[in-house]
Amino acid sequence: MKKILFIAVLFSCFSCSDDFLDVSPQDRISEEAVWTDPNLIIAYHNSLYNGVPHGFGRHMVSKFSDEANSVNWDLQRNTFTPDNVAVAGTANENFFYYWNRGYAYIRKVNIFLEQMEEGTLHVPNKDRLVAEAKFLRGFMYFELIRRYGGVPIVMQSYDLGEEANFTRSTFDECVSFIESDLNAAITGLPEKYASTSTDFGRATQDACKALKSRLFLYAASPLFNPSNDQAKWQKAADAAEALLNRGYSLHLDYRQMFIQPSGSANNEIIFARLFSASNSHQAPITNINRRYGGYGGWGASNGPSQNLVDDYDMNNGEPAFIYPGGVKTINPASNYNPQNPYVNRDPRFDATVLHDESVFRGNVHEMWVSTDGTKWGFDSFKQSGDNPRTNYALLKFAPNADVPLNWQTLYTNPWIHIRLAEIYLNYAEAKLALGDEATCREYINKVRARQSVNLPPISNIVTGEELKRRLYNERRIELAFEGHRFFDVRRWKIATVTESQPIYGMDITKDLATGLKTYTPVQITARTPFQEKMYLLPIEASEILRNKNLTQTPGW
Amino acid sequence: MKLVILLTVICLQVSASAVSQQITISEKNIPLEKVFKSLRKQTGYSFFYKVDLLQKAKPVSLNLNGVTLEEALSKCFEGQSFTYEILNKTVIIKPKAVSKIDKIQENRAAQLAEITGKVTSEAGEPLIGVTVVLKGTTMGSSTDVSGNYSLNVPDNEGTLVFSYIGFETKEVAIGNATTLNVTLSPDAKALEEVVVVGYGEQKKETLTGSVVQVTGDDIVASPTANVTTALAGRLPGLVVNQRSGEPGRDDPAILIRGTGTLGNNAPLIIIDGVERSQMGRLNPEDIESYSVIKDASAAIYGARAANGVIIITTKRGALGKPEFNLSLNQAFNKPTRVMEVLDGPMFAQVYNEGAWYRAGRPANWTPVYSEADIKKHADGSDPILYPNTNWVDEVLKSYSLQSRMNLSLNGGTESIRYFLSFGTMHQDGNFRYSPTSYKQNNFRAKIDVNVTKDLNLGVNISGMLNKGSYPSTNTSTNFINILNANPLLVARYPNGLIAPGRLGENPLLQDKVGTITTEEVPIFSTFTAAYTVPFVEGLKVSGTYNYDMTNRFEKTFRTPYFFHEYNVNTQEYDQKQATVISTPELTDRTDRLTTSLYNLKVNYDRTFDKHTVGLLIGTEQQKNTAQWVSAYRRNFISTAIDQINVGSNAPEDKNNGGSASFSGYNNYFGRLNYNYSEKYLVEFVFRYDGSQIFPEEKRYGFFPAFSAGWRLSEESFIKDNLTFVDQLKLRLSHGKIGNDKVGQFQYLQTFSFGDNYVFGGRDVPGIFPNTMPNPNITWEESKKTDFGFESSLWRGLLGIDLTFFQENRSNILAARNLSISNIYGFSGLPDQNIGKVRNHGYEIVLSHRNSIGDFDYNISANTSFARSKVEFLDEVPPAEPYQALTGRRVGSPLYYKADGIFNTQEELDSYPRLPNAQLGDIKVVDVNGDGLINAKDQVRFDYTATPEYVFGMTLGAGYKNFDLNVLFQGQTNVYNLDTGFRGLGGSNFSNAAVARAKDRWTVDNPNGTMPRADDITPSNNTFWVYDASFVRLKSLELGYTLPKNLISKVRLGDVRLYVSGFNLLTFAKNDWADPEISGGAVIYPQLKVLNLGANIKF
Repeated sequence: MKKILFIAVLFSCFSCSDDFLDVSPQDRISEEAVWTDPNLIIAYHNSLYNGVPHGFGRHMVSKFSDEANSVNWDLQRNTFTPDNVAVAGTANENFFYYWNRGYAYIRKVNIFLEQMEEGTLHVPNKDRLVAEAKFLRGFMYFELIRRYGGVPIVMQSYDLGEEANFTRSTFDECVSFIESDLNAAITGLPEKYASTSTDFGRATQDACKALKSRLFLYAASPLFNPSNDQAKWQKAADAAEALLNRGYSLHLDYRQMFIQPSGSANNEIIFARLFSASNSHQAPITNINRRYGGYGGWGASNGPSQNLVDDYDMNNGEPAFIYPGGVKTINPASNYNPQNPYVNRDPRFDATVLHDESVFRGNVHEMWVSTDGTKWGFDSFKQSGDNPRTNYALLKFAPNADVPLNWQTLYTNPWIHIRLAEIYLNYAEAKLALGDEATCREYINKVRARQSVNLPPISNIVTGEELKRRLYNERRIELAFEGHRFFDVRRWKIATVTESQPIYGMDITKDLATGLKTYTPVQITARTPFQEKMYLLPIEASEILRNKNLTQTPGW
Repeated sequence: MKLVILLTVICLQVSASAVSQQITISEKNIPLEKVFKSLRKQTGYSFFYKVDLLQKAKPVSLNLNGVTLEEALSKCFEGQSFTYEILNKTVIIKPKAVSKIDKIQENRAAQLAEITGKVTSEAGEPLIGVTVVLKGTTMGSSTDVSGNYSLNVPDNEGTLVFSYIGFETKEVAIGNATTLNVTLSPDAKALEEVVVVGYGEQKKETLTGSVVQVTGDDIVASPTANVTTALAGRLPGLVVNQRSGEPGRDDPAILIRGTGTLGNNAPLIIIDGVERSQMGRLNPEDIESYSVIKDASAAIYGARAANGVIIITTKRGALGKPEFNLSLNQAFNKPTRVMEVLDGPMFAQVYNEGAWYRAGRPANWTPVYSEADIKKHADGSDPILYPNTNWVDEVLKSYSLQSRMNLSLNGGTESIRYFLSFGTMHQDGNFRYSPTSYKQNNFRAKIDVNVTKDLNLGVNISGMLNKGSYPSTNTSTNFINILNANPLLVARYPNGLIAPGRLGENPLLQDKVGTITTEEVPIFSTFTAAYTVPFVEGLKVSGTYNYDMTNRFEKTFRTPYFFHEYNVNTQEYDQKQATVISTPELTDRTDRLTTSLYNLKVNYDRTFDKHTVGLLIGTEQQKNTAQWVSAYRRNFISTAIDQINVGSNAPEDKNNGGSASFSGYNNYFGRLNYNYSEKYLVEFVFRYDGSQIFPEEKRYGFFPAFSAGWRLSEESFIKDNLTFVDQLKLRLSHGKIGNDKVGQFQYLQTFSFGDNYVFGGRDVPGIFPNTMPNPNITWEESKKTDFGFESSLWRGLLGIDLTFFQENRSNILAARNLSISNIYGFSGLPDQNIGKVRNHGYEIVLSHRNSIGDFDYNISANTSFARSKVEFLDEVPPAEPYQALTGRRVGSPLYYKADGIFNTQEELDSYPRLPNAQLGDIKVVDVNGDGLINAKDQVRFDYTATPEYVFGMTLGAGYKNFDLNVLFQGQTNVYNLDTGFRGLGGSNFSNAAVARAKDRWTVDNPNGTMPRADDITPSNNTFWVYDASFVRLKSLELGYTLPKNLISKVRLGDVRLYVSGFNLLTFAKNDWADPEISGGAVIYPQLKVLNLGANIKF
């Protein structure tokens, strides 16, 4: 009996204790700890930078424009609607439907700014961190307005249960708000960091200025400036001009600029998203063709389009095609030979596009199919469905033979948000709109004169609409696959033409007996006509239903 | 505690005439007891004495040869402090100084008379080991192997009490008889089912809750590798859907009474008293019973039990001699169904069509595959360049092996009972050239000891060693590489070299890609103590301590691999490294999970005349921990050794991780039963439950339930008038239960590490906020009401059980994401107690049991129905009223309504359509009639992938030595969306189903019933929804027990041989894939199993 009593007593000791329920999380930190520890505050701040998306996701923005072929994206086929637009919202699409992602990071910035305002804790470089946060918030709003036009401006953080009425501000109000954020940021930031510095990648005064240049260019563009208000163009010109003499210079080697790892010397970059071994990307392998294990851009559908290829000039400086009366015609002055289309082109073509007879990593690439169809080149779509059907693969970000090309290599080549060449082209565009054609040509030609590109200048006889076409084309070529084309054709309001055309590829037939090749452009993806309302993206339908005061993008 | 041992003749049936009085003993210094034993053997005389008397006895030395009993005894008793007396073949030992008690004894003994007889069952079989006691005394005997007993009784006025486990105790007055043959009848009460309920057992007859039970023996009849799958169809109210048949990864989804909540619907699984995992991996031969608590009586499990409770009890030792039970099974399995996919020529044809449509149907067009190409693929003249590959046949084996062996030992005496078992199971994968296999070892030791008459201690320790082996590519990828692989790709060149296959991921290379090996070692232990308080009748105190620990180790070794690719130009087979992985990489991960649980219970069970009272009060505390660490390295110099230290030591080639989490429960529970004459039954259960998942002030809740029953069959108006009624019961229950199955710490705003960034080419750490906090979060509340009717008529010829239930779930934990704008930018929305769901339904069980001569059979059929309705939910105001989920079934999806396809241009032109719709696309109904096809035209589809009706029918039959066990199982009111089936002729070269391609729309087949290749209609349309109703011959077992006379020669107790099968036949509307999968056919299919087995007892 005594033993049993003992056991009973023992057991009762274990009951009635509440210790079982006092458990604290082991795998996360409480909010209180965050705002009382400078190291955690800095860590919080670091993550704010991820609010500005880079473009190295599996599906590049190019897939939504005429740069690449993408049979499955509604955004390319012009069949996107408020019902399906949000599909392109994950990391795979670089958060292209940025609405949710953008506002989530804007809230984080707002919380940070509020905490820094209230907090009495000593945080090293507090002013700089606050300035960086404001730059980032400006950038996030810019990403929103280039997609949706005017959006609701949220300047404070809300708690769950707090009610707010969100209504869209006008585009110009948003521009002013971003401008004020950038102006505030500039005062707290250093001018610049060297590209080899351990701080490179942080916001700088120059990054603020560069973003302003882009912002004001957008604001002055036909889509957002229907009255062609010259003051807006002037503002854009001034903003670009402010960066012309800040010590940046064009990288000598156009191809090298995109494949050198983070931390390399590069005096052209003004703001970039860097990568490291533990925080790397797979863009080179994702986009390369099957020979190297790539999928030609995931499912072989990121292959550059014939539409883009046709727009590369010849190395004599002449465009391959001209458009007399709006009809696409071979430019006789260019010496373009449609049956030998890849020779004597703008050197940026070979630096960007992998095509038939390209030599890369010691391999001659073969995209042909024999006349009788019994044989084909190893890089032909016939060999593997993972070679792009266009017969072009994206080379721009893929490293040379000194770096392994496979799925395990941790690539660190940076995503360049803003570089000097863009500023030159921004400047040229603004100057053209202001009637200063000479300066426009001067800055286009600066870009074309890059050592490794070395194209003849655009002559003084090119003026007016023709100069504008050359300017637009220069931007398309120089900044190809850098996330510009989708937005540029919209702000220029030329998408009704460019985005209605089908996507073409190139069929290459080889006569095995003679070795002669025949080149025939082939229509691969038909597109429904681009409609006016598509200039700005619709907001997901359910988001409109959630917000009584939020208006859908016009036309949707 | 004076123990009196009755040395009785049990072994030898000795007739008086055969007794030889010639005694021979030659021993030195042996205890008297041993002498008695020897004497008993030699003479057949019983010895009768008190144990403590003999303790005083001196050892004796004897050298006797052919003496009489009397002589031998007098030798033994020389100098001893006691003497003896012989009466009717019984030797009574008594002290020389006679006490009062002994005097009585002596008086009785003085008039001893021998009674003999035989005890048999109703069938005439002798019963062995029946206890025969003279009522009111300790004098007794037991029957021998022939059922005979003999006992000396003092006079003829006594009564003999015959008792035997499983039989009704019988009392027979001796009268003048010297021979008493007795027939015992089975104890109806002992045979009547006892049902396991929360923290106890109850008689099925007087049960007031909705609890159904199936025995482990029934489950064993299904030769499936995962025991849980064998439950399908056997228990009304239980929905079991297996979605994958992959060895070791084949746990089915289980629901009790369908879906009751918008959140987690998983039931609580209690194995031997503790919430435990690995239900599917239990050894089926260890299981005594599965009990499913469906109604409010689950309230005894409080805040975790709203989705119902499954209680699994394992076997314990049975009284009797040690018995070994060996079972051997060898099975052959193959997929139930594999989708039939297109052959090469058909594929090429379809691809051509798709490409032409994508390019905008140009008039001038060169197809990707020319007529000549297609012909070559078809005629097989050039298997290298123009192959026609059947990937399914190439990769899947025609059958694979599965074996199971089990050996158990069980037995026991009054003081100790034991059950020891060891089981092993091995299941091979269904791919060729694949490391896929699963091996499982189970052991269990369960021992109960009656330390004293009042104190019982027990231990139940079980463990498993589960080893899985899989290729490093995941399963669905493998099936994509089989079912979606282009048939125009070579699988294997004629010279035997393996080709790249789809994306260089040829599934024939699975044994080259590296392996994932898992090793899981859960150890479950339960220690119990039960003390029957001697001075208060019916009072019992018991407690358990349980400690479970699971160690899991997972090694993922991914290795570079090679294939050969034919080069058309050089005509060589180039060996190429697949680019999927370029350098070996290894991840080791260990997990350690523990649960410790204490409980203490007080039971008081007593009958006062017609009033029976049962009371249980208990308390329980539980603590769980989970911890893991992982290590990663890559760039191994060699793949010969898959150990972490062989990997590169460079910082960028290494990585590691780890974390931990803890949780706990604290609670008090109880049950009060009362019945009057087993006629009027009432019960009250409760739990006061504290769950650590919720904030401090919201942690504790009170969950009560009340139930009552009325056994009409016990009323005299039925008993006297309707004699065919065996059982007729009405029952009712109502109560409140909780559901706390949500993430913990949702009441805190926390941050996690991650969201790192890079400055200057170096990583900088980041942190990011987790889900927004909800300081008010608490459990879901379920109010359940059950009404039941149970009957058994004509001694089992007909049984009807009916249960109706209704459940109102409120405070449902769901995130508010539906109505909260993204502009707030919240970092994930916490679960809030916002939803309301109503669930109702019924269950019917009909049973029939009969014997005709040697033929015994029973049939039981069950159907259950459960339908949920969302009463409230934080819904975005839907664009159209018909899109609201509120008012519909939980999980009702939004689908476009398909109305055939656009067969003609007129049809296409005259009806609203998607902007890029073409001829041959699915015609989507413009539901709101606005002339546009957009998301507003999606309508709520009424059914989901969870069936509303599930049914099962078991047939059991026995004829002489044959036994048969059949289970049919099925479901209806269930629809799956199969988006995988939809694809045809897409740009990604995916293969497609024959059923999809067969009658597709083409320019030449404008009246096709299937859409064109590359149809662009959004896939969530009703065209791709299929009725997943089916009826299955789920399991069948036919056994034959070898005749006893045949096997008694080899000293085996019982030998039974059997054949059995699982998923043998399927009748379904859907004919391209197994109907049980939940949409999309690229998963490891369910398996059909054919098994041969033997049971041997010895």
